[in-house]
Amino acid sequence: MQKQSSGEELLATRNMDLHILDHRLRVTSISKNGLVNFTHPLIKLIFLRNRTRCKFFSLTETPENYTVVLDEEGFKELRPSEHLQVESAIWLPLNVVSNGSASSSSQAVGVTKIAKSVIAPLAQQHVSVFMLSTYQTDFILVKEKDLSVVVSTLEEEFNIYKEEGGESVPVHCQDVSNGLHKNGREAIQPTVHPVLIPKNQFCVMSLDPDTLPSIATTLIDVLFYSSSPKEDPQPSPSQDCVKFFSFSLIDGYISLVMDTEAQRQFPADLLFTSSSGELWRMVRIGGQPLGFDECGIVAQISQPLADSDISAYYISTFSFDHALVPEEDIVSVTDMLQHQRNEPATS
Amino acid sequence: MSGSKPDILWSPHHPDRYVICDSELGLYRIGPVGSTEAKAGTLPLSEETAATLLAINSDTPYMKCVAWYPKHEPECLLAVGQANGRVVLTSLGQSHNSACKELVGKEFVPKHARQCNTLAWNPVDSNLLAAGLDKHRADFSVLIWDISSKLSPETSVAAEKIRLSSVDLDSSTVVTKPLYELGQNDACLSLCWLLRDPKLLLAGMHRNLAIFDLRNTSQKTFVNTKAIQGVTVDPHFHDRVASFFEGQVAIWDLRKFEKPVLTLTEQPKPLTKVAWCPTRTGLLATLTRDSNIIRLYDMQHTPTPIGDETEPTIIERSVQPCESQIGSFAWHQSSQNRMVVVSATNRVMTDFTVFERISLAWSSTTSLMWACGRHLYECVEDSAEGVESLIEKDIATKMRERAQSRYGHDTVQVWRNHLLAGGKDPQLKSLWHDLFYILSVSHMKQCAEDMELKLQGNVQSVVYSGIKNIVKTTSGTTESRRCWSGSDRQTDVPRYHSEERCLALRLCGWISRGTDTDVENFLRSLEQEHEWERAAAVALFNLDIRRAIQILNKGAMAEKGDLNLNVVAMALSGYTDEKSSLWREMCSSLRLQLKNPYLCIMFAFLTSEPGAYDGVLYESSVAVRDRVAFACMFLNDAQLPRYIDRLTLEMKEAGNLEGILLTGLTKDGVDLMESYVDRTGDVQTASFCMLKGSPGEVLKDPRVQCWIENYRNLLDAWRFWHKRAEFDIHRGKLDPSSKPLAQVFVSCNFCGKSISYSCSTIPHQGRGFSQYGVSGSPTKSKVTSCPGCRKPLPRCALCLMNMGTPVSNCQGTGKSDEKVDLTRENKLAQFNNWFTWCHNCRHGGHAGHMLSWFRDHTECPVSACTCKCMQLDTTGNLVPSDSS
Repeated sequence: MQKQSSGEELLATRNMDLHILDHRLRVTSISKNGLVNFTHPLIKLIFLRNRTRCKFFSLTETPENYTVVLDEEGFKELRPSEHLQVESAIWLPLNVVSNGSASSSSQAVGVTKIAKSVIAPLAQQHVSVFMLSTYQTDFILVKEKDLSVVVSTLEEEFNIYKEEGGESVPVHCQDVSNGLHKNGREAIQPTVHPVLIPKNQFCVMSLDPDTLPSIATTLIDVLFYSSSPKEDPQPSPSQDCVKFFSFSLIDGYISLVMDTEAQRQFPADLLFTSSSGELWRMVRIGGQPLGFDECGIVAQISQPLADSDISAYYISTFSFDHALVPEEDIVSVTDMLQHQRNEPATS
Repeated sequence: MSGSKPDILWSPHHPDRYVICDSELGLYRIGPVGSTEAKAGTLPLSEETAATLLAINSDTPYMKCVAWYPKHEPECLLAVGQANGRVVLTSLGQSHNSACKELVGKEFVPKHARQCNTLAWNPVDSNLLAAGLDKHRADFSVLIWDISSKLSPETSVAAEKIRLSSVDLDSSTVVTKPLYELGQNDACLSLCWLLRDPKLLLAGMHRNLAIFDLRNTSQKTFVNTKAIQGVTVDPHFHDRVASFFEGQVAIWDLRKFEKPVLTLTEQPKPLTKVAWCPTRTGLLATLTRDSNIIRLYDMQHTPTPIGDETEPTIIERSVQPCESQIGSFAWHQSSQNRMVVVSATNRVMTDFTVFERISLAWSSTTSLMWACGRHLYECVEDSAEGVESLIEKDIATKMRERAQSRYGHDTVQVWRNHLLAGGKDPQLKSLWHDLFYILSVSHMKQCAEDMELKLQGNVQSVVYSGIKNIVKTTSGTTESRRCWSGSDRQTDVPRYHSEERCLALRLCGWISRGTDTDVENFLRSLEQEHEWERAAAVALFNLDIRRAIQILNKGAMAEKGDLNLNVVAMALSGYTDEKSSLWREMCSSLRLQLKNPYLCIMFAFLTSEPGAYDGVLYESSVAVRDRVAFACMFLNDAQLPRYIDRLTLEMKEAGNLEGILLTGLTKDGVDLMESYVDRTGDVQTASFCMLKGSPGEVLKDPRVQCWIENYRNLLDAWRFWHKRAEFDIHRGKLDPSSKPLAQVFVSCNFCGKSISYSCSTIPHQGRGFSQYGVSGSPTKSKVTSCPGCRKPLPRCALCLMNMGTPVSNCQGTGKSDEKVDLTRENKLAQFNNWFTWCHNCRHGGHAGHMLSWFRDHTECPVSACTCKCMQLDTTGNLVPSDSS
């Protein structure tokens, strides 16, 4: 199956560009209790764009904690604290740009589209990835130390560019290969992680940055005052709904992911979404915190979604990964995951 | 544009209407101040124009961009791009039953909402409206809508699905299916349709410029660049495109799209608008944020880029249409260089016309032209009279006229040159007379040995060196007291004589030959010229009162004579040497009231103490030569050089050409001439004058060479080539070192030797080939073969005769003609025999044959040679403006 399709895939991806964006990112986590210590820098990073040189900012609230992904300029704003956990590596965002032929056979978008061309090969090369989907695009974050492996793995199928000061500079394997070349090839068998499918419906939206001030109070309310004291800080897997809210402001573009509950609090005419008003269901991956070294987690989910041509958003956080799939496809996705869970046992 | 930042659009078809859009749309009509003044609510835009608000449309909130429908009908249809990506058609100031009724209110909704950055109507297929949107991970960023599209049934289905939008959509007016979708997973920041083909759309995408072809949407041409904002095609040059990024504008040539042909100097602040002027080629206006100036780049003279290295020149300048910071501007579609500017806040508008740069040119004659925009002006001053005289006074005009009247070329009667110069300038008159006397004296010395021996050796140089040097060497001066002629009264006036003084008098023109001190000839010539007062003064200074009185009487009786001269004669006749007489007293006081300087000095002489003649010597309106002659007669050896030195210095400082008499053609003379040229610019006189000077020191002076070269250039600029040639000949005679050596030789094809060198009959080598075989001499003209190797010379391409054979139509140059001065025809015939050939194709022949061939042909006479020889000769088609 895979072999047959690989020829096609190559043709389709020949017109694809992979851009290594000019951001050096840190992945951090703020504990629920410690949020109060970071209100000032977060407000500054979200609302006062002129006061900060941060160009890449993403804040995702999960029941466990707040995941903050931001570039080094933004990271300077966060004071070290016992409530702030920082992943040691520098992450580089990759972005796939289709170049030319728009007539892709697949209607599916997002992670699904790059599952086979990027995510699967990286998983095979044992490159750990951190996904961040937004309304506008999908960012694939890789550790800086893995860059040479990434380039050598993907350069067959992509024209790879590194963006430096606004210019796109072509990158070749030899330019970066003087580091560590290949990650270890041991630990072939990936762990199959448990999944959780909460009941709430999500929407992915955007916003004109100029109108950000007019939703500021609502946004502050949702971000900082949502977890009422009555709520149990420890999430229980059996719960029907899971708190999930994501805000990102990347290169001037705003993206919001929230459930319909939260969405009702915003003035409807300001938020953009698709005209069809599609809704999404979430698949949370991981029973316990996943860490940052395991690879193949995204691939586990995206591969079968791609096989079934189902669109998906994928948002990694400090503890768990989250995939968003169309509401109408959730049944088949559930079945598929169920099937996958049984399969490794049988094989 | 959202919120505070406004934009302006001119109506494509009404030259007096424009729309300002900020938070709402406002339609204005612009008109002259006078017609709208009475009405309330008009806004002055400039001293002459004012605007009236016609309509306001605030139906469309969150406007991001606006585009005006390009066609006549329906007029005033606007497409508005909103923050959520919807494009709404709206209208302003239209009655509701107008043609666009079914279009107004129509909405075009993208699948995924995001900001609409730009809109562009297709200029030809005006149903097509391109919208550029922000990035969405799954959607396209360039959507081309067909505004006439019938609403598809799916739209209503889609509309039902809209759950998130609070705006109640009337499903009948919403279009969700674009005609074309381009640029997946990308952002589009600017768009424009290419004028060279309406199927091509240029889009400024995220990090690249892309050209989409609607005939094959799966392909695009693109170039990676940062400069992706504000793409705009030059309306006068459809391959030229401007785009910008932050403070830098890039100019692209679509035929060579790999990189910008040119980037303009970077501005410190980010640009907000860049627009080509629609009424003038190559003029680009740019505006930066928070600025009150508009920067203009004139690429008018930019050559079409050929090589990579050619960085074209552009002229950059700034204009400031108003005091306040500019929000936006828009060029008027048809009024030349006109724009309306709107301030960043308060919507203050200004009507502004960019003034064209002026280029100015003087012709080599007196006319002045300047060009401004599409106009060419010739300078004419109002008062024709004043101009005439001004132009006449101008030295360039004078020199031009004098060159035409052969000024400077009379080498026999040198003094006549001042008549050739118009005869009006006393300084020139004096100069040429000085030169005449100098030359005639020196000439005389050479021929007739009537001078004392001691002067013989250096007479040439002494004569040339002027009176100043002559009187320095004076020796053996004798003193004499003569009687008043016609009376036996002894004068107490001592008069001095010496060889040098005598020579000086001759240079002054008072006496004509040898030691003869008789001034009678001189007096007669003065009488002939009706210079009565001067003649009388000269007679008086020669102590001949009677003669002086006679002259004055004659002058009074002559035609148009001044009867007052009789009165003067009367006064003169009463002369008495009584020191304390009434006559003396009255004359010395009343003489100052005499207008004529010569009459004045006559009485000054008579009333002065001997040796104290300041009244005569420092009367500046008396000619220098007369004062000098007087000084030579009446000042002693101590006084004379002092006086002469003082006068010389005065003349040098004033640049007075009369002083040449004193300085001669020496270094001093060059100094004097220098201040004359500084004062007048008359290099012509300076050149001719100094050519007469001693070849050694004077002509080698760099100043003299400079005057001569400038005069030659001037003649060339006037296209007085014949005059220039004459001048060169004249110069060559006087200064043989100025003759250029031969620089061109004709060498034999076979032996390689110069055919003119080996021609032993020619005494010198100058002008090699011109002398070769062209003079009328039969012996020379028979040379049709190389004198070195005896091989024949090449043949003329037209008559097929060997070169060296005279051209056939030049017959009858017999021996008798040779002696006669060559007529114009003969000279021409000589030229007809010259060798000439094209340096490109190397074909040629007799000059006369070639000239007549190219009168009717453009190509080389040699068959199968397509060389356009004559057109390669840049000067070949110019005509000299002097006819001789």
